[in-house]
Amino acid sequence: MVDFELTPTDEKLLDSAHQQALIARGYADYYDKHEDELPPREFPEAAKFPDVVTLAAEVPHSSGPRILHALVMSEVEYGGMGLRRSKWGLGNTVLETVATPEQIEKWKNYTIAIAITEPGAGSDPANIRTTATFDRETGEWVLNGEKIFISQAASADAAMVFARFVAPDGSRGMTTFLVERGTPGFTVGPQLKKLGIRSHDTCNLLFENCRIPEFNHIKGDFKSTMSVFNDSRPMVAATALGVARAALDFTREKLTERGINLDYRAGSRSRSAIVDKFIRLEAAHEAAMLTVMRSKWLEQQNHPPKVEASIAKAAGGKAARRITQGCIEILGPEAVAECYPLDRCFRDGRIFDIYEGAGEIQRLIIARVILGYTNRDLR
Amino acid sequence: MISFELTEEQKLAQSMLQDLAAKALRPAARVADESEAISPRTLAELWATGVIQARADEDAPARTCVTNAIALEELAFADASFAIAAAAPLGFLSAIAAHGSAAQKKKLLPLFADDDYRSASVAIAEPDFAFDVSAIRTSAVKTRNGYRLNGVKGPVPLAEKSSHFLVIANLDDKREAFIVDRNIAGVSIERKPGIGLRALQMANVSFKDAELAGDALLGEAAGCDVQQIVDSARVALAAIMSGTSRAVMEFAIPYTKERVVHGAALAQKQVIETDAMRWMVWKAASILEKGKVATREAQLAYTYAVEQAMWIADEGVQMLGGHGYLRDNPVEMWYRDIRTLSVLEGAVGV
Repeated sequence: MVDFELTPTDEKLLDSAHQQALIARGYADYYDKHEDELPPREFPEAAKFPDVVTLAAEVPHSSGPRILHALVMSEVEYGGMGLRRSKWGLGNTVLETVATPEQIEKWKNYTIAIAITEPGAGSDPANIRTTATFDRETGEWVLNGEKIFISQAASADAAMVFARFVAPDGSRGMTTFLVERGTPGFTVGPQLKKLGIRSHDTCNLLFENCRIPEFNHIKGDFKSTMSVFNDSRPMVAATALGVARAALDFTREKLTERGINLDYRAGSRSRSAIVDKFIRLEAAHEAAMLTVMRSKWLEQQNHPPKVEASIAKAAGGKAARRITQGCIEILGPEAVAECYPLDRCFRDGRIFDIYEGAGEIQRLIIARVILGYTNRDLR
Repeated sequence: MISFELTEEQKLAQSMLQDLAAKALRPAARVADESEAISPRTLAELWATGVIQARADEDAPARTCVTNAIALEELAFADASFAIAAAAPLGFLSAIAAHGSAAQKKKLLPLFADDDYRSASVAIAEPDFAFDVSAIRTSAVKTRNGYRLNGVKGPVPLAEKSSHFLVIANLDDKREAFIVDRNIAGVSIERKPGIGLRALQMANVSFKDAELAGDALLGEAAGCDVQQIVDSARVALAAIMSGTSRAVMEFAIPYTKERVVHGAALAQKQVIETDAMRWMVWKAASILEKGKVATREAQLAYTYAVEQAMWIADEGVQMLGGHGYLRDNPVEMWYRDIRTLSVLEGAVGV
């Protein structure tokens, strides 16, 4: 039956996530001003709260593991960061999706970052230039190349690196390698200087004749490997909407304090411009969140979404931009002051339509699917 | 629990209506617009769907708002005017069923349970440039025998074919709903054609000292929650706008693919927005279905649909260029219909 009500279990977990977010935002503000410092694995306050991210996928009587996970992640980003460092990277998803049982077993407790983007290949992975050449004498792969804007770069235990390979038999293609931190020839650069999400660990990676064993070759076909983004795209949208909601909540609070009433009963001709704008931003948030829910619900039905994942990412990324910008417009010059959350919301909010699959790319994917075009037909 | 799962009944209804839309309704749309009339045959086809009678059935489950939203989207995909021809009596009946006294339900619901098309609507909008639902000017005063009604409502769909209007008016500074028989003294109808929804023969309905009996007040002594009626109308309008938007999208996409004039820009955004519109309608409808207050959700769904539907229709015309401008193609009609839908309040319901 069509329904959008949270179960008591959903509410309980989200309430805990919210309490954690309210504490975490203080830390997010700190790291916003100390971007070179890496946050600890866990803050002291974490001990008082359950690990809601892990629980979301396990707890019974919820709206489902995928839906609840997305809602929890949204709530975590409401705070700007979690009280616990994430144990999971997109590299873990790749491992789980295409690796052999032995490989999964070896690295099951690792946090693995995903390393695709390069200076010349942002939105189009097909353009990557990192190479992996097989050394017949030693039986090792030799990696050379540069990866940029890598999330969890410094804190992860390993990186799942996308590279072009030249195989022993001369065949070429694109594949992935797991490179553990500390491997000679693998350097993690300093924290990048970003507009926002400064508490998030983001660095460039350098591979200079980095030698790795054949066992570290994670052989998956490109399509299966890229399919991991169908799950992650709506998750990124969910986090985008967490930031957006923080902006909306602050704005609503200030409007109420000023005696400006949000009247949902009246029509648009009875509302002030400010209230009308706020309601439109709220509508954009709601719309985007529902597309995330739809994508996650389809995953739970074992009906793998592709278009829906991109729809969610495009909607969430765009909404976060629009809402974090719009809230400042609503509250005026006082709102830009550092001492209020809208400053960080505005700066953090801008990334979500860019990374993990830019909005333009999502829309391209949607268009290809709807129109029945291949990558070649439509660029 | 969050779920997008349709019941078997809903899937069946959706499928049946998609079939009807393609075979009978869409082919009749242009003629209806040009002639400013819905043919008796089309009215009969709409009636035969059973969507309206289901609402008239006192014993039927009250929880059909989501089903009705789905139905209205499919009907609107065929034609917006046809969707309103169904949604108007539906809205009237929903209001009676939700807020009427036992006597009012017993008197009115059976009138819509038989085999012939019958129209009615919820008259909220008024023909005033500053009109807003929070500033209704139609008013009622208590008299010895009941109420006296004064004011003008419009645009009202299929007014001349309606047997009843549910008129929202102020009674002692509170909005109330009055059941008005179209044929009583003091009620006059004046046609007022507009940009779109032309087949609905929109009109102003004027009430000049119209005398109503005591049982005309919806809910009788208790009165009723008019906001719920406004909310239900907003959800229905959003559902209809989402169906017409989808019509634009599905018409423009094959055209886009063949012409590649404006690339895939329209297809991309349209898909995002038509999906999102629908989920917002479903969310508001699912809350109404439970008898809970859906004012915020209905407002958000409506506001969102208004903005996105107009954009989609506008781009749809642009996509087709000169051909989009000709009445040979339906996009210009959907452009007119959506502009009209997007400024309505009331008239319909889920």
